[in-house]
Amino acid sequence: MTVLRLLLWLCVVLVLWEGALRLVPGSLLVSSPLAIAGYVSNNAALLARAALETSVNAAQGFVWGNLAAIGLGTIMIVFPRSARTLSAVCLLVFCVPLIASGPILRVLFGPGTGPQIALAALAVYYTTLLTLLVGLRAVSQTWTDLMRVYGRGPMSTLIRARARASLPYLFVGLQISAPAALLGAMIGEFTGAERGLGVLTLRAMRGLDTNATWALALIAALIAMIAYGSIGWLGQRVVAYRPVILLSAPAVSVRQRPWKYLLEIGFTTAFVLILWQVSMDALDLNRFFAKRPGDVWAFLAEAQNRNTVLSALAETLSFAVPGYLAGLALGAALAALVVLSPALNRATMPVAVALRAVPIITTAPLLVLAFGRGLVGTMVVVAVMIFFPTFVACQQGLRQTPGQVVDLFRSYDAGRWHLLRAAQIPAMLPAFFASARMAVPAALLAITTVEWLATGKGIGVLMATTASTSNYNMLWSCVVILAVVAVVVYAAVAAVEHRVLRIYANEQV
Amino acid sequence: MTQPAHLTRRFFLQTSAAGVATAAAGVPAFAATSVNFQLSWLHSVQFGGSYIAAKKGYWTEQGLDVSLSQGGPNAPVEPPVVSGTALVGISAADYTAAAVSQGAPFKIIAVAMQKNPFAIASLAANPVNTPADLVGKRIGMAVANTPVLQALCTLNNVDINDIEIVPTQYDPAPLVSGQVDCLLCWETDLPVAMTVKGVDNTTMLMADHGYALHSQTYIATEESIANQRADLVALIKGEVMGWNDYLNDTDAAAALTVEMFPDAGLDLQTQKLQAARQVPLMFSDLTAENGFGWFTDDTVSKNIETLALLDHDVSAGLWDRSILEEVHG
Repeated sequence: MTVLRLLLWLCVVLVLWEGALRLVPGSLLVSSPLAIAGYVSNNAALLARAALETSVNAAQGFVWGNLAAIGLGTIMIVFPRSARTLSAVCLLVFCVPLIASGPILRVLFGPGTGPQIALAALAVYYTTLLTLLVGLRAVSQTWTDLMRVYGRGPMSTLIRARARASLPYLFVGLQISAPAALLGAMIGEFTGAERGLGVLTLRAMRGLDTNATWALALIAALIAMIAYGSIGWLGQRVVAYRPVILLSAPAVSVRQRPWKYLLEIGFTTAFVLILWQVSMDALDLNRFFAKRPGDVWAFLAEAQNRNTVLSALAETLSFAVPGYLAGLALGAALAALVVLSPALNRATMPVAVALRAVPIITTAPLLVLAFGRGLVGTMVVVAVMIFFPTFVACQQGLRQTPGQVVDLFRSYDAGRWHLLRAAQIPAMLPAFFASARMAVPAALLAITTVEWLATGKGIGVLMATTASTSNYNMLWSCVVILAVVAVVVYAAVAAVEHRVLRIYANEQV
Repeated sequence: MTQPAHLTRRFFLQTSAAGVATAAAGVPAFAATSVNFQLSWLHSVQFGGSYIAAKKGYWTEQGLDVSLSQGGPNAPVEPPVVSGTALVGISAADYTAAAVSQGAPFKIIAVAMQKNPFAIASLAANPVNTPADLVGKRIGMAVANTPVLQALCTLNNVDINDIEIVPTQYDPAPLVSGQVDCLLCWETDLPVAMTVKGVDNTTMLMADHGYALHSQTYIATEESIANQRADLVALIKGEVMGWNDYLNDTDAAAALTVEMFPDAGLDLQTQKLQAARQVPLMFSDLTAENGFGWFTDDTVSKNIETLALLDHDVSAGLWDRSILEEVHG
């Protein structure tokens, strides 16, 4: 029945789409469904080979990236002292843009699929890690206390209590990472891959082959949706229980002394710098394009260079911040709306997944065309990039509302709004804040891409010019500055989160 | 189009002699050396001569096993060449000059595009035929290319402030949709795409208005020029032979390109058009006289002038003709 209705709606949309284009003929930017179908049938073999190539790379990256996330999450829970340093390192690695990592990966892996797989893995490990960590901590304190009373260590708690509690969250992480892996594999192909959907996308965009561009975008979106849907289905099969009630006494918060906090920051910074230097030295990467901390320091020590980077940064942030806030608000609001009206869920989800699976360099030009090259266009691109993970995570969070609480509201005949405001939104908060943190690097990635493609301002342009100027000192300085911004904003969000969750979800703190 | 006949004949004699010798011995004369050749962009007929060299065995018969690595938006040429993972890369004089100023020990050892392919493309209804036509127009380009436009303006006494620069991605869509009046792009890609799509367009080649800058240049490190000389000579020799064949039949080169890269999604008609369009950029009286890839002190000094406009202070030492001299010697 639902399938039938869905198909009906699909037909309506297609007919409207085709009709609209018939009314506005001569559009070279938007293709009609018939033209796209024509392109697909004419190039079926080519598209199938490309889709297979990209999917296989994405799947390998998906496995590696998520294994890494699970490994890192386990370490961070079992050795809580390592958590902050490790998560900072993970965030920093996640922040390195393709323009800096691309040449390194290609030189390291040589020709072949190495860079594509590596980039797919890099695209997923961080989001899964964050979602998983929320899950691993989503056990009631009574349980952890109980384990402690029985003299069990953190490992035992992890296996017996945390692992099970984390499963629903892990599946959300895996689900979000499926489109991300595909995207990672596609943009990985920009580093000189021989075949795949990303290669064809580049070609189609340059050749003004609108039908091909749309066909490729739709195929990528379709693969992402299938992967997303099947992981969701699997998740429902595996995690058939409702999560336990999470109400418990407030945790005793250990206030850290300022000097200890500073010490920790110092330690993490030193650790990152040493890791950076040592890994590049160990891999024997040429200093011409793989800059070391010392090179960046020397470059930024000159006032002129520093001013260039910082003024570009100011420009970038003035666009990124509104987009970031809009994306978060939109994601959370839509999740709440969907809970109020479940029928909307079916309509919004495919759109959300599709938007996430199409590379930003394909969508950005269309969005820019629609919304202009100013603040609005830039904001929309940034918002689109971060809206989807926020939406999914928030929806999952809303569903985590303890059953007893919902029953209580029902028994008092409380309305939907009341339930949402007093019970479901507080239950959503851990997931919301996790995605707010997760969105920080994503927003920076989006803004730098759109600056390069559309506005021609800010730090994204400084980085993009490296291709012609070989000014890798500038590139790596931008990378460092962006990473510092990401860490600072991340820490700020985490601080707000800490305060809010202490009230609403104290097991997370 | 004049054909450097003496070259082809000499190569024919040389290579057939080598072939006979190899066949007579019954075994390969020596084990092939494997080298990587880093192209500057995705596979297309832009590198048609190289594909001919690979297909016809111009490299293997000289004992060289060449892998062609394609480029891409995030695959700059300089890192693999500087790291030694690629023996030769395809670059352009301005890119090379910039890389050298950043400490890369590169030399330009041959020049495929004698004329720079940068052009101003516009729609036939609103054409830009001379630099003066740019005044009051909106031009779509990557902001990174502003120095290129500045150089064109300086060369032709146009005030760049009279032109509105609109940052766009590298595709013809902004021009076709009317977001801009013209595009700064290559003569051989976006205009060809528009023509194939039936968009009536016109181009103004910047090289015809004083912008003298070698493009599609072959770069190698000083180290390989010193230590892998024989490989470099063999690679460039194969290139010269491949490109001479290309000139004879650009349609065949286009067909070969499409055939060799079935996964690249290439369109034969587009490739044929592109192949023909790049001939005047790559072959000139200079190459007819001296052979493909050639450059003279005169062309080098014109390049140095243009590079100065682009804020690159270089000397003639950036170019090294010794490999070409050995190839054509």
